[in-house]
Amino acid sequence: MKAKTLKGSSKIGKILQNMGSILLFLVIWELAVHIFDIREAFLCTPSSAVYHLLVPQPDANYHWSVNILTTLKEYVISFAFVAAGGIALAILISWSKTIQGILMPAFIFICSLPMIAIAPILLIWIGYGLKTNVLVAFLVSFFPMVINTITGLGAQDKQLLDLVRYLGANRWQVLLKIQLPGALPYIFSGLKISSSLCIMGVIVGELIASDKGLGYVIVNAQLTMDTPPMFASLIMMSLLGWGMYLLVSLCERLLTPWNFVKERVDS
Amino acid sequence: MEEKKTLLSIRDLKKVYTTREGELEALGSVSFDVGRQEFVSIVGPSGCGKTTLMRIIAGLMPQTSGELIVDKDYFDPQKDVGFVFQKALLLDWRRVIDNVLLPIEILKLDKKKYIPRAMELLELVGLKGFEKCYPNELSGGMQQRVSIARALIHDPKLILMDEPFGALDAITREKMNFELLRIWAESKKTVLFVTHEISEAVFLSDRIIVLSARPSKMVGNVEIELPRPRTLEQKLLPEFNRYALDIYNKLEVK
Ligand SMILES: Nc1ncnc2c1ncn2[C@@H]1O[C@H](COP(=O)(O)OP(=O)(O)OP(=O)(O)O)[C@@H](O)[C@H]1O
Ligand SMILES: [Mg+2]
Repeated sequence: MKAKTLKGSSKIGKILQNMGSILLFLVIWELAVHIFDIREAFLCTPSSAVYHLLVPQPDANYHWSVNILTTLKEYVISFAFVAAGGIALAILISWSKTIQGILMPAFIFICSLPMIAIAPILLIWIGYGLKTNVLVAFLVSFFPMVINTITGLGAQDKQLLDLVRYLGANRWQVLLKIQLPGALPYIFSGLKISSSLCIMGVIVGELIASDKGLGYVIVNAQLTMDTPPMFASLIMMSLLGWGMYLLVSLCERLLTPWNFVKERVDS
Repeated sequence: MEEKKTLLSIRDLKKVYTTREGELEALGSVSFDVGRQEFVSIVGPSGCGKTTLMRIIAGLMPQTSGELIVDKDYFDPQKDVGFVFQKALLLDWRRVIDNVLLPIEILKLDKKKYIPRAMELLELVGLKGFEKCYPNELSGGMQQRVSIARALIHDPKLILMDEPFGALDAITREKMNFELLRIWAESKKTVLFVTHEISEAVFLSDRIIVLSARPSKMVGNVEIELPRPRTLEQKLLPEFNRYALDIYNKLEVK
């Protein structure tokens, strides 16, 4: 008798469905602008936003490769710090019950703070540019990551710890063999939440003060009520956030394969 | 005689849990010996402290008072114990084979050398061909059998089994009983076996320790003098039933 796992073939169908609904939305938008004859200074068509992205722009402020790369770089740096730092700090905190007892309430408090409000203060302290934007993004998305990971590290059935302790497992073995693998689903849900918070933080930093980046494009285009680059920028932001989310989901699939086999086999 | 040597000696072992409602006496002074290569069962009503006793023997928690003496020359309480828990407790993220090999990793032994042994054990518990599955692809009884293979992988001298067959159906249970006896006889292991099933205890054991309800006292220490190897026919013998009746009486089942 051989165990077999069935592949979900409805997966592709679901993706097509999602794409279809997005496409439908864009078509309605495009038609609405034409039919109701909306001024471009108020709302542009999606096609003109995409067109803006695709043709070379004479205005240096609208050089998309520079702006996209700037935002992408800030996003990747801050998200990498959030992921690595969040997991590391969570492990350290979960190491000691006392530290956990002291820090967790503080963290939950910080989490409920609208971190974005800190951006103008950071601007005074650090000045504008990559560092500030990265820091804003970090602060906005770091604490949910830590809290999720700590929850995951403590979520194991206590008896699973007995399973290795009776064989004299040390702390590292308990962490590496039981706690960390068991926390992976929590870590990935933390990463998913943080990935969208993080791009938001980067953009907020750019909106407040920057000389390049997708957030800067919006602020700059607003001055002249030039809507196509504004919507083009929005499209790119959502693509960046979506891309990171997909990347996290892909890693999740690779690193927690047991969560993706659901068919049971009976003897 | 070699097999009369004591492996484990339990002297006035007591366990009091401190709970929110106050003190709870789980084990009220239990004493007995387990000889090398002996098959000893522990029976007693639910909540009388059988799991507690096993956990103390495995070194997972300290006793409140009393002594636990082991023959340290023959036996290392850390490396030479295999524990089959009441629940299967498999690691969801490991394939069946890697679950079986977990003790090898914890004891830092050469994992590669134990792979053939792991396959053998899986075949023994009737799970050949499932080694690449994840635990959530197996039924409850199959998971429990994986946990039995896991407890045997590092070739422990003492096997602690806490109602290992509770989740199995009657037929599989009967088969597993035979397998267990075969492993025990071949590998000269010592088994301490907790069960609720009196006839299972009589069928398997050299000796049965009978515990009373909480706070538990030892109310019986019954030698089972049925010849080995045990057979199904023995279950119909008057002696077999006399042993069972004797234990029921000690448990004050009326
Ligand atoms: N960690 C604990 N803290 C407090 N009380 C406990 C703890 N573990 C067990 N007990 C109590 O100790 C008593 C004995 O529990 P134990 O699990 O050893 O019983 P058992 O004989 O294994 O029962 P069963 O046959 O139902 O598995 C029970 O009354 C239980 O409530
Ligand atoms: Mg129990």
